Amino acid sequence: MSEGSTAAAPRFPFARESPLDPPATYAKARAAQPIFPVTLWDGRRAWLVTRYDDFRAVCVDPRFSGEFANPGFPAVTAARVVVDKAERAFVGMDNPAHDHYRRMFTKEFSTRRMMALKPRIAEIANGLIDEMLAGPEPADLVAAIAVRFPSLVMCELIGSPYEDHRFIMACAAARHGLTQSVDEAETKARELASYFRALIDRKEAEPRDDFVSRIVAEHVLPGTLSRDDFAEIGAMILRAGHDTTTNMIGIGTLLFLQNPGQLAAVRDDPDAVAPAVEEALRFVSPVQFSPRRVALEDVQWRGVTIRKGEGIFALPASANRDATVFADPDRFDVSRDASAHVAFGYGIHQCLGQMLARVELQVIYPLLFQRLPGLRLAAPIEAIRFKHDMQIYGVHNLPVAWSTGKIAA
Amino acid sequence: MTFKVRIVERKCIGAGQCVLSAPAVFDQDDDGIVVLRDATPPPSEHEAVRKAARLCPAVAIFIDEAGS
Repeated sequence: MSEGSTAAAPRFPFARESPLDPPATYAKARAAQPIFPVTLWDGRRAWLVTRYDDFRAVCVDPRFSGEFANPGFPAVTAARVVVDKAERAFVGMDNPAHDHYRRMFTKEFSTRRMMALKPRIAEIANGLIDEMLAGPEPADLVAAIAVRFPSLVMCELIGSPYEDHRFIMACAAARHGLTQSVDEAETKARELASYFRALIDRKEAEPRDDFVSRIVAEHVLPGTLSRDDFAEIGAMILRAGHDTTTNMIGIGTLLFLQNPGQLAAVRDDPDAVAPAVEEALRFVSPVQFSPRRVALEDVQWRGVTIRKGEGIFALPASANRDATVFADPDRFDVSRDASAHVAFGYGIHQCLGQMLARVELQVIYPLLFQRLPGLRLAAPIEAIRFKHDMQIYGVHNLPVAWSTGKIAA
Repeated sequence: MTFKVRIVERKCIGAGQCVLSAPAVFDQDDDGIVVLRDATPPPSEHEAVRKAARLCPAVAIFIDEAGS
């Protein structure tokens, strides 16, 4: 793979050889060619950034733009290109516009506010575990808990009716899939923004103590945020909040079930929980194809030239396995300090909802393992469908049993 | 030896890494934006503050360290 020879640039994304590890190409690249070219679905060349230091440097380098509207902005599917172009939330903006909008929302997701939600979030989690225990065994933990828990939390926080969560999940899947049509992605993007726009109108008419009502009072009514802009941002927040934590719960639980010693630490030692969540985030790195950037000028980087207009993918799953930062990186080890991981990204676009995700995971993992001490897979690992078809990685299903003293049917 | 912490408030995006890393030194105001509680923290806090500066995604925390 010499510079400029697009013929040698392999097609991206790559298949995983092992379901709980990133593609082996990443590790090889970190050692031999840490920034290397790939070919996207449309034949365009883009660059993969595989090392931790480069990941962070690229994310804060002003020569690389995060503007979704830039014609060179890279995406892994045709559908994603189209919805990216239509994106009007700050996730697709450079500064100063990004910070202007994001700062209207930081208070809603502040560390203190999210920590204060913990008791209520635990109540929601307990309710779902009660329901699963009252139902048939074995059960699918993804359907019973992983999908419903973040949805219930988000709906309560945002002020959207819980009955709508399936619709919201479908909208998220249409954007985060690798196989859906342009038409489907576009339609679902529009539908979700319209949905949120109607929610704004409802909260304007009948304010409650929730996210939408507060933003309406603080920014929409005074005229600093238009209803349409809020609808786009709200749609982005709904999608992100429903789809990412769900994946961490499903595949994270699997990870713990396969590492009983680590599961025991999370179950028995309250101090082990927060670091274990960081380690699970590092190890899984569910967001596979973001952060993305486009070069605003020709950039020399580690001996290669990234041309103006070429796209860049900084790969969290690779940076988070960089042995110069995380010793023995392919080992899942909840006793390490993994807090420097970049599973939430880095730079100004680092996840807005990261504290909410942390609190949700800090609640659900120990609760599951404490209340279901017999929790185990109810099917061989071959029966688990991994999300090879999605941009956000996880499992589609996780068949589990929990009864002790009898073999589940 | 001096150890002086400086924040660039306008760069803060409210990610909260600093509050997690060094809660004795960093807090968030009502808008979720960083507040520096102690610009010259005791040596026991130095490592935590260095970590906060390292993890800040907006590169909004700086430490002036001199002498030994």
